[in-house]
Amino acid sequence: MFTHRLNPAILLIIMLGIGLQITFARSFLTNVAIVIIGLSYLLYCKISIKLISIMILSAFPVALGSWWSFIAFGTSDVWHVGWIYASRVYAYLFLGSILTLTVPIKDILLSLEKHLKLSSTFVYGILAAFNLVSRIKTQYKIIRYSATMRGTEYHLWNPGLYLRIIIVALNWSGDLAEAMTSQGFTEGGARSSIYHDNLPFWQWLLSFVLILIYFFFSFIVRPW
Amino acid sequence: MQTINNTKKGWSVKDVIFLAIIGIFFGIIYQVWSYAYYALAATPLKPYANDITLGVWIMAGPLAGVLLKKVGASLIGELLAAAVEMLLFSSWGAATLISGFIQGIGNELGFAATGYKNWDKLGLLLSTIGSTIITFIWDWFQNGYNEYHMGLLVTLFIIRFISIGFFSGVLVYWISRLVNKSGLGK
Repeated sequence: MFTHRLNPAILLIIMLGIGLQITFARSFLTNVAIVIIGLSYLLYCKISIKLISIMILSAFPVALGSWWSFIAFGTSDVWHVGWIYASRVYAYLFLGSILTLTVPIKDILLSLEKHLKLSSTFVYGILAAFNLVSRIKTQYKIIRYSATMRGTEYHLWNPGLYLRIIIVALNWSGDLAEAMTSQGFTEGGARSSIYHDNLPFWQWLLSFVLILIYFFFSFIVRPW
Repeated sequence: MQTINNTKKGWSVKDVIFLAIIGIFFGIIYQVWSYAYYALAATPLKPYANDITLGVWIMAGPLAGVLLKKVGASLIGELLAAAVEMLLFSSWGAATLISGFIQGIGNELGFAATGYKNWDKLGLLLSTIGSTIITFIWDWFQNGYNEYHMGLLVTLFIIRFISIGFFSGVLVYWISRLVNKSGLGK
């Protein structure tokens, strides 16, 4: 079932290769094309319609604000520019979601280690931290509650809030790194891996072709 | 044989976990912060919303710099925070990672300008100037700032510098002073 999906490493290459170009492209139609292709891939991967709808809604304020600000403060062809930048928000969104919604974090990182030579220190370090996400959320609440009990409220601009965060991060990262070392993790050492994935040659070719096609349309054809 | 990397230049798994945990905390802070951002961003005032809040989005970078005091710490710290944010879910999608890289470069240039010798006021000041200029140039293309009229651009630039100056400069300086006072600093 997994074989026809794109490898996470390839998805990242497509995401960055096209994402960087979007910044300099000035075309509404190519943005729409990215949204349609991205949406088709999400549906192909059987991502729930509900999740996709939430994603689309969550970016709506930013897209609306972009569009509106050019209508209000723009200097040249405000309608065209407004549509370009509003659709750009969604192009970025779908480009990111083909990676983050279709592949679990663990597979993304392990694939990057295997195919793009991301150092294992980073791969396993990030993985270790991600295992703590729910505990970090709880800890954040605890930090705020305990401050309230002492009669202080932490706002975003209180350095004390960040000091507490840094203390937690220092303690936990020390403990985790020690635990990993004691379990045989060696930085930069050779490792055996139980992660296997498929990366046929056609996928490299596909990423290359997609990036080139995008370049051709946005900078040479330059549709509306 | 197991080796633990304790040199100042290299990256140990402890440093990576440390920055990633801070990145996740920032992810939570961003969620709280984003309600205010979205309320403002859904109106024509969106460019103001961008520039007023920018300092918060990028403070992970300089914070990593002053805490670890390493070449590349700001860039990697900011990139890690952006990666965490993108993986946890962000409504900017692919732009999150790319912007994280650009913002990190801006901060890193500031510290690099001191030859990586000053992680104090001067380093932070240069880092805020670096990231203000670099991110502004980036938004010129990415968020279409070249389409706004001159008066708005000047206002935005000043607001951006104040936001970055406070959150990524003054606040990071206060935090580092607290960290040093508590004896946790490197």
